[in-house]
Amino acid sequence: MAAAITSPVPVAWYPTLAILMLAVGLIVTASFFIYEATSSRRNRSLAKELTTGALASFFLGFGTLFLLLASGVYV
Amino acid sequence: MARSISMEAAGLTLAFLILTFLTISAASSTNQIQILNAERRIDLSSHIVKVFLTLKVENVMTAPASEIVLAFPPAQADHLALVKAQAAIGKKKKKKSYVHLDVNPTELRDAPNGTKYFSISLLNPLSSGETATLEVLYILTHSLKPFPAEISQSESQLVYFRDSALILSPYHVKQQTTFLKTPSTKVESFTRVEPTKFAGRELKYGPYEDRPPYSFSPVTVHLENNSPFAVVEELLREVEISHWGNIQITEHYKLVHAGARHKGVFSRVEYQSRPSFSGTSSFKHLLASLPPRVHSVYYRDDIGNISSSHLRSDYRKSELEIEPRYPLFGGWKATFVIGYGLPLEDFLFESPDGKRYLNFSFGCPLAETVVDKLTIKVVLPEGSKDPSAAVPFPVEQRLETKYSYLDVVGRTVLVLEKKNVVPEHITPFQGLLHFQTYIYASRTIDVGICIFLVFRGLFSLPTQ
Repeated sequence: MAAAITSPVPVAWYPTLAILMLAVGLIVTASFFIYEATSSRRNRSLAKELTTGALASFFLGFGTLFLLLASGVYV
Repeated sequence: MARSISMEAAGLTLAFLILTFLTISAASSTNQIQILNAERRIDLSSHIVKVFLTLKVENVMTAPASEIVLAFPPAQADHLALVKAQAAIGKKKKKKSYVHLDVNPTELRDAPNGTKYFSISLLNPLSSGETATLEVLYILTHSLKPFPAEISQSESQLVYFRDSALILSPYHVKQQTTFLKTPSTKVESFTRVEPTKFAGRELKYGPYEDRPPYSFSPVTVHLENNSPFAVVEELLREVEISHWGNIQITEHYKLVHAGARHKGVFSRVEYQSRPSFSGTSSFKHLLASLPPRVHSVYYRDDIGNISSSHLRSDYRKSELEIEPRYPLFGGWKATFVIGYGLPLEDFLFESPDGKRYLNFSFGCPLAETVVDKLTIKVVLPEGSKDPSAAVPFPVEQRLETKYSYLDVVGRTVLVLEKKNVVPEHITPFQGLLHFQTYIYASRTIDVGICIFLVFRGLFSLPTQ
């Protein structure tokens, strides 16, 4: 008669997803910093900065969300 | 000319008939029903008084009767927590099934001495000469008055119970009997209204024959009742629904022992060395029935965590046995918080027409306790609109806003309030909520946007 509503992502995956997403996010962040450190002012490309920043934000954003959920703060 | 006169006459007779019908039905509704046999069983075993009333009614007039009216004295009506009625269907004694009947408060004109009324709506109207058997349950709270009002640690608790030997009714009662079940054999005194018989743990008033409507014979029974008089003065239950898969419940209790007040000193030595003699009316354990699959249960108060508790769960229910920091004697209070989490899929459902509803149980999970004021706050996820609740008994509903984790506009809170709640009120209720799916992504986008801005700020870092 009525379907039970569950979370879109299985609850058992929350810790694994948190660690994976944060790890990927931190790697992309590291790549952003390395690019900033190794390129000189004239050679820097805005497009590459923006894409790396956006990708890192995406993964870090989801990673912190799943980290909050895994630690019991059900936001 | 003739036609108009005959139409006029027809109109007049019709009006006359309507008028007589109205006067008959309005004036003599209490003479329409006669109670052939009434049996009342009053259970005084705990501090919540349960009364089972079996009525065999007969319709003595010609017009069909669709409702039966119950009368209560005004002092008793104030303490009435619940009135339920059911009718038996089926003639075989073993295969009886019961049908629940609607009971609503009502008012009658010429109510003597402020009598309060409840009307039971019958399933099929009772035709002339027909009889029906109804079973009524009503529950009274705060009806056992401790006397003496103050007792010491080693005394037993005695209480007064005041009621009437004759069942108060707006109808003529042909035969009635009242049985009172006491928790122990010790009854100090009781008013005698012949015929009265007291044997063992049962006090019988009756049978009384042919009593007119509104006959009332007050009696007072002074009995011993050492059952735990656990009353929760205020209970606030917060139910936070998160669509990520968890319902978090936080319950704030203000518990008090509502029996005879404790006077004198409390001797721990005497309490522990002679438990059957000392502190017989006190209690130190409370049992809370929680749903199965409960996790992260905590029990704490203002000082901190209270470790004297046990949680036993099986696949059908979980039982949390809590032991406050001190045993509760008359007049002593304890304030604490119980919190736990539940999986979302046990409680939140989506109906085929797309609406989402929460199936949750109203009431207090503590066993055999009366709650003076119960407030349930259902905190819905952000973006939910127009919540409403369908509860089987009258409650007050209103909406509030709460700001919680990662909130921008605030969460809608549906607040349900009820006074005088007893364990029989533990029934599921349904809260209907509208919900938008974007809510999942919006939280992560907010976090992502914040982090992106951090990165953008880093662009301006000077490098070599």
